[in-house]
Amino acid sequence: MTQPAARARSAVSAHPVTSAAIAIAMAADIFFVLYTPIYSTVTPKVGDWPFFYFYLLIFMPITSVALWLVILLQKRLERSRQDPAAASQESGMRP
Amino acid sequence: MSDVNATTFTIVVALFVLVTGVGFAAARWRRAADMMHLDEWGLGGRGFGTFITWFLLGGDLYTAYTFIAVPALVFGSGSIGFFAVSYTILVFPITLIFLPRLWSVSRVHGYVTPADFIRGRYGSRGLALAAAFTGILALMPYIALQLVGIQAVLQVMGVNAASTNTFLKDLPLIIAFLVLAVFTYVSGLRAPAMIAFIKDTLIYVFVLVAVFYIPTRLGGWGHIFGAAQTHFASVNPKTGKPFGTFIPTSKSVGATQFDFASLALGSAVALFLYPHAVTGTLAAKRRGAVKRNMVYLPTYSVLLMLIALFGYMAVADPATSASIKKAGGNAQLAVPYLFQHMFPSWFTGIAFAGIIIGALVPAAIMSIAAANLFTRNIFKEFFKPEATPRLQTQISQWASLVVKLGALLFAIELPKTFSINLQLLGGIWILQLAPMLIGGLFTRWFHRWALLTGWFAGMIYGTVAAYNVSAPTASHWAGSSDIVFGHSIYIGLTAVIINLVVTVVLTLVMKAARVPEGADETLPHQYTADLEQVAAPAPAGVGLSPASD
Repeated sequence: MTQPAARARSAVSAHPVTSAAIAIAMAADIFFVLYTPIYSTVTPKVGDWPFFYFYLLIFMPITSVALWLVILLQKRLERSRQDPAAASQESGMRP
Repeated sequence: MSDVNATTFTIVVALFVLVTGVGFAAARWRRAADMMHLDEWGLGGRGFGTFITWFLLGGDLYTAYTFIAVPALVFGSGSIGFFAVSYTILVFPITLIFLPRLWSVSRVHGYVTPADFIRGRYGSRGLALAAAFTGILALMPYIALQLVGIQAVLQVMGVNAASTNTFLKDLPLIIAFLVLAVFTYVSGLRAPAMIAFIKDTLIYVFVLVAVFYIPTRLGGWGHIFGAAQTHFASVNPKTGKPFGTFIPTSKSVGATQFDFASLALGSAVALFLYPHAVTGTLAAKRRGAVKRNMVYLPTYSVLLMLIALFGYMAVADPATSASIKKAGGNAQLAVPYLFQHMFPSWFTGIAFAGIIIGALVPAAIMSIAAANLFTRNIFKEFFKPEATPRLQTQISQWASLVVKLGALLFAIELPKTFSINLQLLGGIWILQLAPMLIGGLFTRWFHRWALLTGWFAGMIYGTVAAYNVSAPTASHWAGSSDIVFGHSIYIGLTAVIINLVVTVVLTLVMKAARVPEGADETLPHQYTADLEQVAAPAPAGVGLSPASD
């Protein structure tokens, strides 16, 4: 476990849930903007705003929060990468 | 000059003078022992924290042209203009994937430009030259368009609009640009970083005031959206088709959902391939500052959404629509006219100054980025490999002047549509760097010759396809989307897919033929390094990694 590459891999496998959460947050953030059929409608209106415009407006804070979470989770991964002993301790039974 | 409003004019001039002072004073800001170093002049000392980086990148990416062109597109065509909003949402998750890696590897090896990284990663001067060439080519019209943004404001202000003498007519523009050129020469990246504070404050103030105030004048949001919906559904007598769309359609050709998404995706991937975006990023002190900015920068996207809606407000306001029609239907005047009709002249002055200063910040950073590309990847690489940091800085300073003068000539001498078409092409071109730059940050699998051929294929396809787009009003360059397999799609995206396919196929061929792959001076752990893992750079060795010496 001295090679950087091997350590990087172990950080991901040591935290499968954290890694999956990062991947899902990123993928969802991209998908729900890119898949336009979800929000290309006038109705339902939110106040005076057609849904299309309202969706675009509120998706920005959502992106911010999602990416903030991603960065927090990545910090966890990085901490275990810099401290391999802690990583293998957390992973418990992993050979 | 008879119809120039004195109050508006005075406020604009006063704020411009303030900005000029700040631009020169910036040379003393965070002063280093030796300023004649590209890390200092070109990257502001590589020491900006999260807060300054936020202003710098915000000022860099959300340009005056954006403030003019996005509402213009919304005013002219409706919903398709909002692709810019969806693109500025998408850009942050996509960029978070690769930009921190670019920051880290550039910090370890002292890279100043994206082409420096390509040179180090693939050991190929040719590929780095292709990247530098593409970057400079894409930046020139982009700088010119910042001037077009200023021109739109000046025209509505009535400054010398009546003069038929080209030189007199453009005199304010020339003065503004000369001032910009001189303080960039003196202060380097520190100038736009400091001016960005003023620019962003002005823009946040005028946009927030406008979105709360203008709807009260126009009968509320319901009326604004309603007027836009009616207008874009009605038929344009000139073309026999509707003026535009209010919501992206589910058809296969035209302003479709697919076209909307492909434009957003292509532009989002392209944004941080632009050299000026990379310059702003590499000026950050820490990896964390780059990452955190992906969380904070969407604030500007909210602003862009509101700015895009100015286009609909211009549709809903009869006086603004009438003024635009009177000016020959130039949709770029939508925002300046809207402000002139809605606000007292002192507030209009603040808004106009915001747009003009908003053009100076990105123009300065773009010219620095283009100058660095020239110095590092053309001058030093091919003409003077032994150039000292001092000489490199001097060359960059002069190159930034040349780049800006070139852009000025572009904006004054050539028809406006020429710059706009070139900028459209610039987006398509810069996207062709994706396989070598983004790909290279994750894998060394691609072969350098395959990347070069793929890049070339993408450039050719993109240029030809963009040239061939026609519309009832123009036979060429009529848009950035064409029809592939019966669907409207952004040309840049098609071109980069072609690029990628060529690259993959040729990589397999090159590997089978055992063509030399070139030396890679980077190491895997350098892509995640932070400040602590970076050795203090040797004083004289800027940009020269130990491996390439």
